[in-house]
Amino acid sequence: MSFEWPWQYNFPPFFTLQPNVDTRQKQLAAWCSLALSYCRHHKLYTLDVMEAQESPVFNHKNIDRKLSTDAILIVFEELRKKGNLEWLDKNKTRCLVMWRRPEEWGKLIYQWVSKNGMANTVFTLYELANGDDTESEEFHGLEDWMLIRSLQALQMDGKAEVITMDDGKGVKFF
Amino acid sequence: MHRRGVGAGAIAKKKLAEAKYKERGTVLAEDQIVQMSKQLETFKSNLEEFASKHKQEIRKSSQFRVQFQEMCATIGVDPLASGKGFWSEMLGVGDFYYELGVQIIEVCLALKHRNGGLITLDELHHRVLKGRGKFAQDVSQDDLVRAIKKLKAMGNGFGMIPVGSSYLVQSVPAELNMDHTVVLQLAEKKGYVSVSEIRESLKWERERACHVLEDLLKEGLAWLDSQASGEPQYWLPALFSELTSRDVTPEEANQMTP
Repeated sequence: MSFEWPWQYNFPPFFTLQPNVDTRQKQLAAWCSLALSYCRHHKLYTLDVMEAQESPVFNHKNIDRKLSTDAILIVFEELRKKGNLEWLDKNKTRCLVMWRRPEEWGKLIYQWVSKNGMANTVFTLYELANGDDTESEEFHGLEDWMLIRSLQALQMDGKAEVITMDDGKGVKFF
Repeated sequence: MHRRGVGAGAIAKKKLAEAKYKERGTVLAEDQIVQMSKQLETFKSNLEEFASKHKQEIRKSSQFRVQFQEMCATIGVDPLASGKGFWSEMLGVGDFYYELGVQIIEVCLALKHRNGGLITLDELHHRVLKGRGKFAQDVSQDDLVRAIKKLKAMGNGFGMIPVGSSYLVQSVPAELNMDHTVVLQLAEKKGYVSVSEIRESLKWERERACHVLEDLLKEGLAWLDSQASGEPQYWLPALFSELTSRDVTPEEANQMTP
């Protein structure tokens, strides 16, 4: 399924930080939405600010408009405030993008586990995210850092336990 | 000899004659009234017959509505003048335009978030038709204009600005004066406008042009594009042709403030 761009994407002023406060609010909300759905569509979990600048999201070559680095950082700050983004470094060059929150991932994983009657089974993290069995699941390919957070969320709920094994981490579901 | 001439008798006679005339006048008036009542009865039942025959058509055909309105105008009747009334109740004309008015308000409200409360008549027409579905009666632009005029008269903040060969419908009571209107008309061609274009076409001073553009930004009707080559451009979502067919997404709906 190809990515559907919102109408604002083809609207040249969308790439200029709006001076009017109300309009800017709408603009930033639309940018947050676009950034998250783009990451979701392409299963991106981390973003590098320099790279992002050149990605089609923030650089629309067809209409010769791009979002400035300053504006990108403002959009990212909005995402951070909403809990969808975390900076990996003090200099704000790389960040984690959570287009789905850990609790939501945990829920999906647990649903799969219940559906397949796999309670009380132990999985390695690799099996869970990259095994053949989970290939058609949305959480397939989930990066480790997010997987662990999701499992920790389930752990808080008493639905799972993260265990350390010889060659890495694993998880047991209840 | 005793002469009487214009005496008591003559006066009495005169009075009697006057009384008889008056009586006859009353009789005449009564006659007229009876006759007029009969005529009114006939008129009323003819109109009822007309109404039952054509009520369907009024709802269904925009062409019929136009002709009906023109006919009414000729005899000095405005079927939309009052909500309750012989015409609107009998023929359902009022209902039709009232319902259309409600639809127009709904469409404008749903899109206000995007275009600041300004929409082309074309887009409005397109969306109203869409909202009515396959089995709905057709609605013409003439119908929309009449309904909007009614809304304007009711003080709903509606207005119509002539641009190009059509109109921009304003659904938010923004303070738009002649200067704003003229700039909107200029912007209609390309969907955007710049200070130089305004100065060239309208021969205004820079300050006046900038002031109007600032106002449009403030009203949320225009967005600034500072990456255009040469000088900044001011774009109006209402005139952005790509938007005409784009539905409001759930996300946009969530962003709408009441």
